Amino acid sequence: MENNENILAENIFADECVAALIENTAEMRAEAAPKQAAFEEKLALRAARDADESKMFRKFRIKDIVFLAVITACTLVTSAIMPLLIHVPVFGIIQLGLGLQFSVFPVVGLMKVRKAGSMTLMGVFIALFLVMMFPPMALIAVCAVVVELVVFAVFRSYKNDWACVMAGTLYMPLTIPLLYLYYNVNYTVTGAENEAVSMFIGGTEPWVIVLMTAAVVALTFIGSVIGMLISRELKKAGVLKK
Amino acid sequence: MSFFRVNSKLYPLVALVCSLFIIVFGLVAARNEYMCWYLVGAAVWLVLFGCVKNVLRMLPVSIAVGGVFAGIAYASAGGDTSAAVAMLNRFGALFLGAALSMSVDTVRMTRSLSQVRAPRAVTLGMLISMSFIPMLKGEIKRVREAMKTRGAGSVLNPKILYRAFLIPFVMRLVNISDTLALSVETRGFTLGGSLYSIYKKEFPAVSDVLFVIGLVAGAIAVVVI
Repeated sequence: MENNENILAENIFADECVAALIENTAEMRAEAAPKQAAFEEKLALRAARDADESKMFRKFRIKDIVFLAVITACTLVTSAIMPLLIHVPVFGIIQLGLGLQFSVFPVVGLMKVRKAGSMTLMGVFIALFLVMMFPPMALIAVCAVVVELVVFAVFRSYKNDWACVMAGTLYMPLTIPLLYLYYNVNYTVTGAENEAVSMFIGGTEPWVIVLMTAAVVALTFIGSVIGMLISRELKKAGVLKK
Repeated sequence: MSFFRVNSKLYPLVALVCSLFIIVFGLVAARNEYMCWYLVGAAVWLVLFGCVKNVLRMLPVSIAVGGVFAGIAYASAGGDTSAAVAMLNRFGALFLGAALSMSVDTVRMTRSLSQVRAPRAVTLGMLISMSFIPMLKGEIKRVREAMKTRGAGSVLNPKILYRAFLIPFVMRLVNISDTLALSVETRGFTLGGSLYSIYKKEFPAVSDVLFVIGLVAGAIAVVVI
């Protein structure tokens, strides 16, 4: 009889404990509910923003980074002639030698990853390698940032194919002023090769600068259009999925 | 891990900075008459610190390419020997710097960058770009072989280059990058601020300090003398 009463008392106590626990959990859930709702709302907003291709600023996914890195590797392999070009005493010869590959592949990259920062990321990846080949060219990362600012000022996003073409066209020619600076430092301050200096910076013949810059812009435009055509064809074939 | 030890391989970030130093110093001080001796000394120094394979690989290229451009500089400067030597020095510094940066293992470089809290996107991108280059050469070879099999013609023809080379090549790139992304994700790589651990951390050793001191001391000697 006494045992039964004890068991009953224990059961009642256990029930009370469970009820208290449930109440406690419910209270905690109620307290956390606004935070959880806010977090879920934030996640939903982020997902919606990432899904909306008209938005400029979307989060990068692993897939995007990998593709941009692969495109960078491709650009680098094809620009292996750069160490040979850097000492050729012709103004803008580096840009002329690298213009095509530095416009075709970045445009393909941009046409797949149409997000703000894609060009900068490619610029950073390339700069990390170019710094070992020819340090002044590492400033190409700065050019990438400038290109993106210009493209966003004109087109607002990479949604339009011609925005990608514009980015690809301006990317390499923007390095010309940087190289001009380098030639000045390296050949007028440290050297006495006056003839080479005039050839490099076009100091005596300004039309050399104009002509070479025009040639580089024309070349990068052609390269960008080729990149766009390749991407369009791959898109049509269903290979270039977003 | 103790700092007072001698590593057979240089600390990646030290190697990278020293590589830059050699290239920049070589370009700036190319006309110095002692520069060539500095480059010879730096090459020996690199060999002593475990870069023998890359130095030997770069040496013939450096001599051949540098020689050609030194000849051009000699001719364009009207028979000025110092202009030719300066050009040779520039190429020597460039290839020596490249030999040093090439001796850095990709994985070790990525670990070092992760240790210094470099953004995950940058370390991942760098790792993929560096590892992908040899694979890319293989892919180019395969596309060329496919062209031969199909009897597509010469790559020098722009139409053939576009249709039979560029399109299949970029298509392969897209497919490989999709597979690679999937592989990277399944191995737990994430972007953003998630926590991660570094397998086998890299630390500088006393040998790295010795290496830097040797290079800088040589450069100071060149400038002062």
